[in-house]
Amino acid sequence: MPGDVHMWVMVLGDLAIFGAYFIIYMIYRTMAPQEFLAAQQHLNVTVGVVNTVVLLTSSWFIARSVLAARAGDPERAVRLTYLGGAFGVAFIGIKGYEWSHAIAGGYTMPSSDFFMFYYMLTGVHVFHVALGLLILGIVVRELRNPRKRRTSMVESGATYWHMVDLLWIVIFGLLYVMR
Amino acid sequence: MTTNAGTANATRAITYAWLVLTAITIVSWWLAPGHSGGVAVPNVAITVAVVVLGFIKGRLIIRYFMEVRAAPRWLKLATDAWLAVLGVSILAVYLF
Repeated sequence: MPGDVHMWVMVLGDLAIFGAYFIIYMIYRTMAPQEFLAAQQHLNVTVGVVNTVVLLTSSWFIARSVLAARAGDPERAVRLTYLGGAFGVAFIGIKGYEWSHAIAGGYTMPSSDFFMFYYMLTGVHVFHVALGLLILGIVVRELRNPRKRRTSMVESGATYWHMVDLLWIVIFGLLYVMR
Repeated sequence: MTTNAGTANATRAITYAWLVLTAITIVSWWLAPGHSGGVAVPNVAITVAVVVLGFIKGRLIIRYFMEVRAAPRWLKLATDAWLAVLGVSILAVYLF
């Protein structure tokens, strides 16, 4: 199994909670589809697409860092983890830009049910990205210590990071793309 | 410790997954209502496509990035169940 079982239990639990959020969002959306769709049009799709590619790319680096760690090349694993982390930081930066733009345009949380969900979902998600960055930092420490370098630890960190990516994929579809 | 050839194959698989994920994301740009000039109208075909593409993307991330393709059966089943329940629920709520 990639990583340890405790990380997977936490990831599956988090997926279940987010899954419930997503369905609650759909129920509210179905009650006022025109209103939600009109509000969706105020999101910048280009920024959403760019940020999705940024997060996918960070996962691409992190997945390869696991291979490097497993192949006994911790220096390369550290480099790839830093690259993945840098793209994670870029994701948060772009999200901040998007939020400030939306707020400046008057699309605040109380402005509509859609924007309430938008800030809730993207806010809780960004918190997970930040926690993921902290976990990547712990992975780097592990890789740098020649007496540690437990592969399961590196794999668990990567599993969490990819979960953040997976949740974003769903949020992106629900908030930006569906009609 | 894995062999060099094994690492090269695994790297290629991860990179292909990333390419497909990125391609699907870029296609989504055209589907989104955000940039259509007038007022966007609900579209069942696009929404179904979004859910199906989301399912494919989610499964690629789970199987290739999270390496569930090499995981025990219970984990494959649990992650597939999550994807299936989520996708079906979203469509059910949307359509009914």
